[in-house]
Amino acid sequence: MAGFQFSGLTASFGGERVLGPLTFGVEEGERIALVGRSGAGKSTLIKLIHERVDGHASLVPQDLGLVNALPVFHNVFIGQLDRHPTWYNSLTLIRPFRKDRDAVRSLLRELSMEEKFWIPTASLSGGQRQRVAIARALYRNADLLLADEPISALDGPMANLIMEALQQRFTTSVVALHDVDMALSFATRIIGIQDGQIALDEPSSRLTAADITPLY
Amino acid sequence: MTLSHIRKLMLSSLLLFTSFAVSAQPFVFTAIPDEDETKLVERFRGIADYLQEELGVEVRYIPVKSYAAAISAFRNNQVQLAWFGGLSGVQARELVPGSEALAQGVEDEAFYNYFIAHTSTGLEMSDTLPEEMRGKTFTFGSKGSTSGRLIPEYHIRRVFNEAPEDVFSRVGFSGNHTRTLRLVEAGTYELGAINFAVWEKELADGNIDTDEVKVIWKTPAYPNYQWSIRGDVDERYGDGFKEKVRQALLNMDDPELLESFPRSGFIPTENENYEPIRSVAEQIGILD
Amino acid sequence: MYLSPTARISLLFLAIAVAGLFVADIAITASNPWRDLGRFFLGVATPDFFSTEGLATALLRTVAFAFVGVALGSACGFLLSLVYRFYPVRIFCAFIRAIHELFWALIFLQFFGFHPLTGVLAIAIPYSGIFAKVYSEILEEADPGPGRLLPPGTGVISAFLYTRIPDCWVQLRTYTAYRLECGLRSSAILGFVGLPTLGFYLETSFSQGLYSEAGAMLILFYVLIATIPIWVRPRLLPVYMVGAPFFLGDGMPIIWGNVERFFTQDIVPAPLRDGEGLASLGHWLHDLLVNEALPGIWNTVVLTQIALVATGILTLLAFPLISNHFGGPIRRTGGHVFLVIARSTPEYILAYILLQLWGPSMLPAVVALALHNGGIIGHLIGRQTNTLQLRPDAPSGFNRYSWELVPRVYRSFLAFLFYRWEIIMRETAILGILGIYTLGFYVDSAIQQIRFDRAMVLILITALLNIGIDVLGRYIRRKLALQTMPTC
Repeated sequence: MAGFQFSGLTASFGGERVLGPLTFGVEEGERIALVGRSGAGKSTLIKLIHERVDGHASLVPQDLGLVNALPVFHNVFIGQLDRHPTWYNSLTLIRPFRKDRDAVRSLLRELSMEEKFWIPTASLSGGQRQRVAIARALYRNADLLLADEPISALDGPMANLIMEALQQRFTTSVVALHDVDMALSFATRIIGIQDGQIALDEPSSRLTAADITPLY
Repeated sequence: MTLSHIRKLMLSSLLLFTSFAVSAQPFVFTAIPDEDETKLVERFRGIADYLQEELGVEVRYIPVKSYAAAISAFRNNQVQLAWFGGLSGVQARELVPGSEALAQGVEDEAFYNYFIAHTSTGLEMSDTLPEEMRGKTFTFGSKGSTSGRLIPEYHIRRVFNEAPEDVFSRVGFSGNHTRTLRLVEAGTYELGAINFAVWEKELADGNIDTDEVKVIWKTPAYPNYQWSIRGDVDERYGDGFKEKVRQALLNMDDPELLESFPRSGFIPTENENYEPIRSVAEQIGILD
Repeated sequence: MYLSPTARISLLFLAIAVAGLFVADIAITASNPWRDLGRFFLGVATPDFFSTEGLATALLRTVAFAFVGVALGSACGFLLSLVYRFYPVRIFCAFIRAIHELFWALIFLQFFGFHPLTGVLAIAIPYSGIFAKVYSEILEEADPGPGRLLPPGTGVISAFLYTRIPDCWVQLRTYTAYRLECGLRSSAILGFVGLPTLGFYLETSFSQGLYSEAGAMLILFYVLIATIPIWVRPRLLPVYMVGAPFFLGDGMPIIWGNVERFFTQDIVPAPLRDGEGLASLGHWLHDLLVNEALPGIWNTVVLTQIALVATGILTLLAFPLISNHFGGPIRRTGGHVFLVIARSTPEYILAYILLQLWGPSMLPAVVALALHNGGIIGHLIGRQTNTLQLRPDAPSGFNRYSWELVPRVYRSFLAFLFYRWEIIMRETAILGILGIYTLGFYVDSAIQQIRFDRAMVLILITALLNIGIDVLGRYIRRKLALQTMPTC
């Protein structure tokens, strides 16, 4: 999946339109930050894109979508379930293969949570859980990253580390961010959403924090 | 540890299985559960030992919980021989073409029943079923029993011209003769019907409190218990097997074995002898 | 006067039960019931563990049948739960669980005879239906989120194993273990129709008045159930699963011709079998309905309604026995023992015991059903009150009971009661085998007369009646917005 162009994106909730209709396009290699007040429609837009690309993307939803009863390893491994036959996956559930263990372990090392390898995600803190969801997205290794507030529960240094990792691994990405500075430093293009419509769409090089603030 | 345990376990069960496979085709019989089970098991284990000796094949007795179970086992060829009552024998032989009544007890040629009453009813021995029975509580034996159900019901309908449920205030099925006796003795039911052989034996053994329960009527005679055998036993156990079984039963003269039934001996019989039972069963609606 | 919907429905059911008492056959007919009861308790107090040679074997068989039956039932139930959303599957499951284990056993006895398969299937089939329903409810509650963000192309099975099972695993395991306890009870009562489990020997001892023997068996059964947490360990389960089939006993060989005969001849209505035509069939059905089914249904319904309300009353009386809000630890321990015994004893065995002691009427059945079901619900409600925090100046004694506790637990009390409504009816029907004139009595009579065609029609009617009550119970629970977890 390289770039894409979708038009007629709309969403309604309870009979009331909350998003669109709008047209949304991404070029290959672009890193897009979605900004705007909470409730403006960023999460809805990310969900819509995920549907439109038929799931061919690494997704980090706001609610993370972790299987709480499974340990960190399996929650990350879920990202590649489609690459193995059923028997392989079933066996992995009981006893993972060494090469998968090593791959996931090195990924977690990058996110500095290697020691949580066998801990069920239910017993992790909010920030740790967020990193597991990110690890899953990284392990999934799709061309496109769709992430909804992926660093909301992380502190400064860790947030930077994660954003860098995402920037490196994914050529194309659409990330909803509430941190304006982070958006400016991460993205190549900023899209502001207001009341379900695109209120701003500029390359980040042409913007400053002051240009974005009115959206909030 | 567990693994060796499992292995041992599987091995032993395997041996268990093969041991059954080797001694295939034991000759199996059952009996209607018309009395206390302990007594039945004791009695029929003795019979099994006796038959095994006489017939030269492995003989097993299996106890069952109901008359119907005895009939089904016979019908399903899980038992080949059975000690049936008059009615259960008729039902069973109807269901298994070629099966035969082999032998009956000397007493079974002209079997009879007692109607018994708790003394509080004030009823005494009489020549017919007294009208005062009406409105009291009454228990049969088992639902499928000849002497516990069929014959008593026949006479109740004959005398009162009504179904038992309409004659009595409460009608129960105790399950077997010993229990009918105990229930009437205890006053749980005021009246009951019991086969004479059980009554006489319990009386002789001193197991009846005659201050509490007494006989009030004796039924006319009818044919009852018999040994019935499936028609295909000769194919399965060799030619002449059926006759061998018949002879073994007729030759039984061990007083202890006979006493346990209690019968004074066994005599030959045939299916036709049980026609009266069939016609009564059809009249009452137990047989189609 | 305004009455809340829960109060109104309670009063309505109370009124129905009271009306039922007028038409029901309630009496103690034994001339000296208390002497017999005394002898029974004396027997329990002086148990004789060594009288019956088969006692140890019977216990082993009871456990083996329970394990194999529940294991098979849970495997089939699990597979069914995966397709439970399809309407025909739901109907099928509702149908097989509406027929009591004992009825299934009576059916299989007719063609498998005393083969272990009879007992295994008698447990496994109704349990499959129950497992399918409960498993599917548990699986439905799993978080659907993780499933949505799987990579496209992920296999259905992999997706299921990774995103559904882990979240539900604990609940599935807990429920299955709970069912194992129910399976032990089911297995024990199968002995009453001749399978080699505990009921077989219990019936023998009881009917002969050997109360010390019977007492020993009951005590061993309670110990077996009470110690489940000790001997049923996840690590030991595979050992039990592998071992159990070898301890079912050998029984009698299956003859397959009997199976064919049963389905192609025995259960075909007599007029059709004899080629007497449809008019004759109508007559046959009419006769069966008027003389057996209708009286059976009437008695079953009357007894069920009385037993339901009696269960409710007993529950309300019994739950304070184990509640932290009343009495000291000694009384609570006593209460626990009482409730454990009440709920561990299958109602069939309780009814059998009471029938022996009090003579035949609906009374022993009502008391047995109320004791068993009241024991179960009382235990759950009592535990629930222990989680309640009362304000420091809450009233004590009866005021605490009536003003603080009952109002707070009343809705879940009703939820459990209506959940068990259908279970009580299923048991009521089966108690007919013991001589109470409910549907089971007529089913048993038909089987005793080797008229399986009639027996099957009556079993079918019983199943439909149960499904009807199940639907009604669910409707009432939904109307009153009552929620509950499954019990057995």
